[in-house]
Amino acid sequence: MREKDQAIEIIGPEGVPLHFPAATLSERVMAFGVDMALLFLGVACVLILFVMAGAGSGSASIMGIGIVLAFLIQHGYFIVFETHWQGATPGKRLLRLKVVSRDGAGLQTDAVIARNLMRDVELFVPAAAVSAPEQLYGDAPWWMIAPTAIWLLVMLLMPVLSRERTRVGDLVGGTLVVRIPKAELQSDEAARSSLMPGLPQGDAITFTTQQLGHYGERELETLADLIRKIDQGKVTPYDLQIVATTIAQKIGFGGDLPNRLPERFLRSFYKQQRAHLERRLLFGQRKSSKYDG
Amino acid sequence: MKAPAQTPRSVAFRKEREGQWYELDRLVEKALKSGLKALDASELHRLPVLYRATLSSLSVARRTAMDRALVEYLEALASRAYLAVYGSRRSTRGALRRALFETFPRRVRALGLELALSTGFLTLGAVVAWALMSIEPGWYDAFVDPALAGGRDPYASTEMLRGALYGEGQDVHGDELGFFAQFLFVHNARIGLMCFALGFAAGIPSALLLFSNGLMLGAFLHLYHSRGLLFELVGWLLPHGIPEIGAVILCGAAGLHLGRAMLTPGRRTIRDALADAGRRSAMVVAGAVLLFGIAGLVEGIFRQAVTDDGTRYLMAAFNGLWFFGWLFVAGRSRVTRPKRPRPAATAATAATSSSSEEAA
Repeated sequence: MREKDQAIEIIGPEGVPLHFPAATLSERVMAFGVDMALLFLGVACVLILFVMAGAGSGSASIMGIGIVLAFLIQHGYFIVFETHWQGATPGKRLLRLKVVSRDGAGLQTDAVIARNLMRDVELFVPAAAVSAPEQLYGDAPWWMIAPTAIWLLVMLLMPVLSRERTRVGDLVGGTLVVRIPKAELQSDEAARSSLMPGLPQGDAITFTTQQLGHYGERELETLADLIRKIDQGKVTPYDLQIVATTIAQKIGFGGDLPNRLPERFLRSFYKQQRAHLERRLLFGQRKSSKYDG
Repeated sequence: MKAPAQTPRSVAFRKEREGQWYELDRLVEKALKSGLKALDASELHRLPVLYRATLSSLSVARRTAMDRALVEYLEALASRAYLAVYGSRRSTRGALRRALFETFPRRVRALGLELALSTGFLTLGAVVAWALMSIEPGWYDAFVDPALAGGRDPYASTEMLRGALYGEGQDVHGDELGFFAQFLFVHNARIGLMCFALGFAAGIPSALLLFSNGLMLGAFLHLYHSRGLLFELVGWLLPHGIPEIGAVILCGAAGLHLGRAMLTPGRRTIRDALADAGRRSAMVVAGAVLLFGIAGLVEGIFRQAVTDDGTRYLMAAFNGLWFFGWLFVAGRSRVTRPKRPRPAATAATAATSSSSEEAA
């Protein structure tokens, strides 16, 4: 089952609201998995290298340096990448995810530090509670264990429970993780030449203002979708005829043209209908659908 | 009546601006794929200009264009460009110096109440441990983890306890003590990070952690006090203890700050208050990790090399000086207030009376 995208609105410094799809849980888990694998590899390399060097030279200090380095890598990995790669770690870049600041300002270093400092408590403490409870709880009485366990559970489930898939680190850092949206500009039907094969030149179909006054934005959008489907060759001529004659009937467009050249009719109608609605919009008159006065 | 224009206005709108959009799209794709560093100087200069132009296109299109595909495209393009433009600040010259000597001490000073509370919990722990141990020394085992005590417990001889302070009678190689110090740094830094992160549970675990660390400290102090070695212990403890205990207090204060934001968010929502507190205390915790590192260095190098009490106290004084100087003096604004010209006597009385009225 694919998770439904949750839209996140962020208002940048320019004051224009922008919309991002929130990263889904599975994407975040995968990105985290990639990062953890890299991190584990790095830490393991450093430890093996230094332990071997330490054993070779007989100096325990070198081993100690390895431990310190491993600690710095473990905690620095996310912080360094997220500050230097514009809010993305290798795992996030692979899955096209980004950390953004919830308030819309640029992502600050302290927000990155805050969100990553929480990871230990958020993941490893619940993990310890499951794998080695006696070490975490010791011989604490039940009235201390119970609230702790509930608290850990809530913390662990936070990304599942929250709409924007925020984990505790995101709350504390004031950040969100979003997917980079895809942008593809489709060709505009209305920009095409209205001269098409099938009609003698100069014989353009024109509609009167009254004829264009019936439909609103929603119907226009439906028609745009239909025309896109024509371009992809997904519509039968019979369907086109039905749509064209229905529209002609509704707006009172006489003649057999809608029946004879339905595609031509629909394309012309779309273009002129849009021009009409946009012109009305300039005067502050928005017609959202055919029911809208 | 015939409709006037046949071509929608949004077609011309798109034709005029399309070029810019494609240019921005290309830059953003490059920046998102391989970072801002992939852009050359002129492209970097173009990026924000094109971004703002696209935002204005988006605002216009949202209000006037009937082409949903166009609006969606602009929406996605502007969002992508936002990520490239506002992804993160590029570090400027001297950013590290500013973070260390301006932001960090300022953030520390902003935590006044939490610092007091944090110190209070630690002290309370120490006092409680001291009091309990003066009644029954056996409490020691409850307060101190034997792994960290390393044989320094009430059953050890006074000679052994004294020896531990001066590095005598230990069968470990000096080099291994270095290893122990590095291990201690990681151990302490972990506790510090925990102390902060656990603040998310309304600050309660942070307070408990501070209290239990205080217990351990108090127990140690009382143990050495009971053998008449308090002066020597403090000399041994202070040089690395000032940055180390200071860092514990800082992390605790940062955790308590989180807890306080959750419990009393004020007029903001809890979410906003928490994010605010988290960001402000993050820098404090990062600085504290550095302090743990310094403490580790002092512990690993200085403590073993110097066994003279006087030198140790001198080192402690030196550490105290830079520590408190850094935290409480550094980063204060250097703007000196212009001296007020001494006003005439009448004017002065008038000014004081008016200001006292304002105060009232």
